[in-house]
Amino acid sequence: MKPGPFEYHAPHTVADVTALLAEHGDECKPLAGGQSLVPMLALRLTGFPHLVDLNRVDGLSGVERSNGTLVIGAITRQRVLERDPQIAEAVPLLARAAPLIGHFQIRNRGTVGGSLAHADPASELPAVALALGATFDVAGPNGTRSIAAADFFTGTWSTALEPDEIVTAVSFPVRGERTGSAIHEMARRHGDFAIAGAVANMSLDAAGRVSAAAISLFGVASTPVRATGAEAALVGAAPADINTLEIGRLALADQEPTDDIHATGPQRARIAAHVTGIVVARALEEAGR
Amino acid sequence: MTTTDAGSAGRFVGQSVRRKEDPRLLTGRGTYVDDMSLPGMLHACFVRSNVAHGRIVSIDCDAARAVDGVVAVLTGTELNVGRGSMQPTLMFEDAANVAVQPLTEGTVLFVGDPVALVVAESRAVAEDAAELVEVNIDMLEAVVGFDAALLEGAPLVHPDKGANVGQDMPVIMPGWDEIKADAAHVVSATFNQHRQTNVPMETRGIVASFDPASGELHAYLSTQNPHEARLVLSRVTGVPEHLVRVTARDVGGGFGQKMFLFRDEQTIGAAAVYLGRSIKWIEDRRENLIASNHARADRTTVELALDADGKLLGAFVDEVEDAGAWPLGSMGGAAPAVGAYFTGAYKLPFLSWHARAVWTNTCQRGAYRGPWMMETTAREQMVDYAARAIGMDPWEWRRRNVVKDADLPYTTPMFMTYDDSISPDATLEQAAQVIDYDAFRAEQRRAFESEGRLLGVGLSLYIEPCAMGMMDPLSTETANVRVMPSGKVSVALGTGSHGQGLETTMAQVVAEELGIDIDDVIVVQGDTASSPFGRGTGGSGSAIIGANACRLASAAVRDKAFAIAAQLMEAAANDLEVSDGRITVKGTPARGIDFAEVARVAYLETAKLPEGMEASLEATHTYKAPPVTWANACHACTVEVDRYTGLVKILRYVVSEDCGKMINPAIVDGQIAGGVVQGIGGVLFEHMIYDPDGNPLATTFMDYLLPTAAEIPTIEIHHIETPAPNPGGHKGVGEGGAIGAPACVFNAVADALALLDVTITDQPLGPREVLDALMAAGH
Repeated sequence: MKPGPFEYHAPHTVADVTALLAEHGDECKPLAGGQSLVPMLALRLTGFPHLVDLNRVDGLSGVERSNGTLVIGAITRQRVLERDPQIAEAVPLLARAAPLIGHFQIRNRGTVGGSLAHADPASELPAVALALGATFDVAGPNGTRSIAAADFFTGTWSTALEPDEIVTAVSFPVRGERTGSAIHEMARRHGDFAIAGAVANMSLDAAGRVSAAAISLFGVASTPVRATGAEAALVGAAPADINTLEIGRLALADQEPTDDIHATGPQRARIAAHVTGIVVARALEEAGR
Repeated sequence: MTTTDAGSAGRFVGQSVRRKEDPRLLTGRGTYVDDMSLPGMLHACFVRSNVAHGRIVSIDCDAARAVDGVVAVLTGTELNVGRGSMQPTLMFEDAANVAVQPLTEGTVLFVGDPVALVVAESRAVAEDAAELVEVNIDMLEAVVGFDAALLEGAPLVHPDKGANVGQDMPVIMPGWDEIKADAAHVVSATFNQHRQTNVPMETRGIVASFDPASGELHAYLSTQNPHEARLVLSRVTGVPEHLVRVTARDVGGGFGQKMFLFRDEQTIGAAAVYLGRSIKWIEDRRENLIASNHARADRTTVELALDADGKLLGAFVDEVEDAGAWPLGSMGGAAPAVGAYFTGAYKLPFLSWHARAVWTNTCQRGAYRGPWMMETTAREQMVDYAARAIGMDPWEWRRRNVVKDADLPYTTPMFMTYDDSISPDATLEQAAQVIDYDAFRAEQRRAFESEGRLLGVGLSLYIEPCAMGMMDPLSTETANVRVMPSGKVSVALGTGSHGQGLETTMAQVVAEELGIDIDDVIVVQGDTASSPFGRGTGGSGSAIIGANACRLASAAVRDKAFAIAAQLMEAAANDLEVSDGRITVKGTPARGIDFAEVARVAYLETAKLPEGMEASLEATHTYKAPPVTWANACHACTVEVDRYTGLVKILRYVVSEDCGKMINPAIVDGQIAGGVVQGIGGVLFEHMIYDPDGNPLATTFMDYLLPTAAEIPTIEIHHIETPAPNPGGHKGVGEGGAIGAPACVFNAVADALALLDVTITDQPLGPREVLDALMAAGH
């Protein structure tokens, strides 16, 4: 349980970070909260000759609200999501998702950007980002760019980031009027990665019908996925007419989750459908309040 | 919650005295093996097989040996030469055992089989070098699971043994067919209990230090059994027993894993002698999960014959245990006991059984808190299964068949006699009443009929043999109670407390017997240099064997103190009594002398001693346990099964138990709660799963799921205290929680699923298994 040898870099600027990443290429990995990377290194499941610690880089931490957008610095701890009243007010889904991430000791150290860039398909924040249409601010040696959440997650533990790029911040749209959101997951124990989970963000129009519906699922595919068929079925419907069990089934119609020792693929689909029904009902209930 | 009759409690015995261990443990000042550092100490890392079965073609250590900081890379070629038996003292001469060597040569037999040992200046360097050892293995077909092991023509795990069945013990009594022919009901079912592992918080570890000049080997160990460890280290290294010292200060759990010294610790001892150095090895968690010991892994078929009222007419039990590849001290260790103790708490007129143990290409089976608890798991699950099959409520079935007070003494069909110190009927009634059985049945019906919810209730009733007196060297403990000139007392014991609080409970007994304050007593254990030979701590034995040794040694000290006091006070010794550290004449409390003054005289003013009396004030007593001491308990729990996700939530958990006279009720509750948590974890979370090729799939805590506080309900514990026939009246309590809990949880889930006519027979009951059962039945 000792990692293999590596050289440790602790730069103070984003430019130094990306320069190091560019210099060492595949032999280099950025270190954020370390809650996934460090155990993998200790188990020698992976190894890098160079680690670039992001924790001392200026300007990567903090929360800022402007013009309907909440911008969260990449190195902001997950614990902030559940404790910062500004976040709970602006993007309540983040505050609801955070307690589901591991245990509080993990969240004290784990970062928002780290969880997103690690892109575990069963983790919560990627699914939240996808459902809310978040935008990733990315920096590389040749400058900065933005990536939409829909384009960011490309596979298990893989993203649209180039090897010499890092996420610097994530922007979430502030909750609109008559909008409700919910996240729910089924995990074997509190704090475990979910066997399956779902996120819903629902808006109603002035007449009380669904005007916008976003559902994302996690734990059922190699990335978080939007349940577009179920979303389409919801738009225009009156909440009283919505059969959430049916929406759950529809959400999983296109998915073929895989087996692991905790659940078979069909079981995962059954659980995800059940969980989807729950989040849709909760989000609609909140939107109509 | 605890209810007990405290009327018989003494000043210390029977009181929830605060644990003497806790201040150091809770402030991080405990001393575990990894806290031990010696000058010039080296660090070791094993190179282990990553295939389950295969012939070693070559082991290339050159690159590893070239790493800066590496002192040695050893294989069997160097380390296996001239080794004594690695088997435990209890059974090391048993020919059925396989010959285990420090490092496997020839054929590897499980994923985790150690083939080389890197010794380096740091653990990190040792791990770096271990990665460079190239082990070339020709894979062979792996034998995984009962069916593969028992298959005609299956590959053999140990070809020299000629079969995969390493033990085959039929105990067939005549007349079973006739009993079945006359029975109103014959019910049969097969139950699988899945593989689990002990998971002590502190993994195994050793710092072994050999001094070539003196020839002494000193091992700092995480062990339940320091004297056994000394014997084994002596045998394997050839260092004579008197030159081996084993020290264990604090031990972070064992649950059986540290009762017998395992192969890896012995190998480090051998390497320390071979290199003439000090070597530390702290097992990492992955090693602990895949290569320490596994447990449970039983398959039991039970056939019951019942009369028209559901009363037992007889039982046949067919048990197979999976012993793994290289069992140390456990081949066939559990299976016969599953048959022999199957009777449990019921009047059973007839019992036959057949016990087998098989070798497989998996980690060895070892002791785990209730090593043969499958007798309770299989019996109690079968009781519910059979009751349902004949349309009877499981509580009612147990009431009709339980051994009642009027039936005592009761002799089982295996010729074991329960004396009148057991109380199964009383615990059954108490547990069922506390859980409000009848009201829950009504709520269960309502919740199902009006909301479709699946609630269930489970019972589990057992009688546990504790502190086996016929099993040397586990049958005796020796206590040396030594009073110092100041009147303070030191108690030396050969026990290996690893969470039981023996430094507290043994001090309670000594303080009670000597009539002195508990703060004036220190219990020193876990070190072969300071204690007489002892049995260690395991098998629910320390309260019976250790405490009675303490009690009787203390009585001898007290008698001598009275003789001295009588001389000093010119009174008759048999007129004296002692309390609060003062020896007084009965009925005349003003006439007295301090216990400390008597101690002072015994050492420092010996001319005042009675003529011919040996100076000093100490005594040693060896207590040998009765052949068996019976403890009993009944567990009851209620659950809700989520029919969509397969998750099981425990609503209430109740234990009614009888461990005889309690020394420390808070510690008793802790022992029970800990065992129950492991039982719940075993059924709902923990599964040491292998794929068909013998690859372990739960190699970290991401996949080997332990229950946490969030998953465990309040455990409501109730006591019935029926004294056992030994001086203190104690029975064992360490293992019981883990013995009773699995069947209790299983039965509650089975009860809930029976609402949908879904039948289950196998553990575990994670969401995967629960959903499999529901989905297969079309739900």
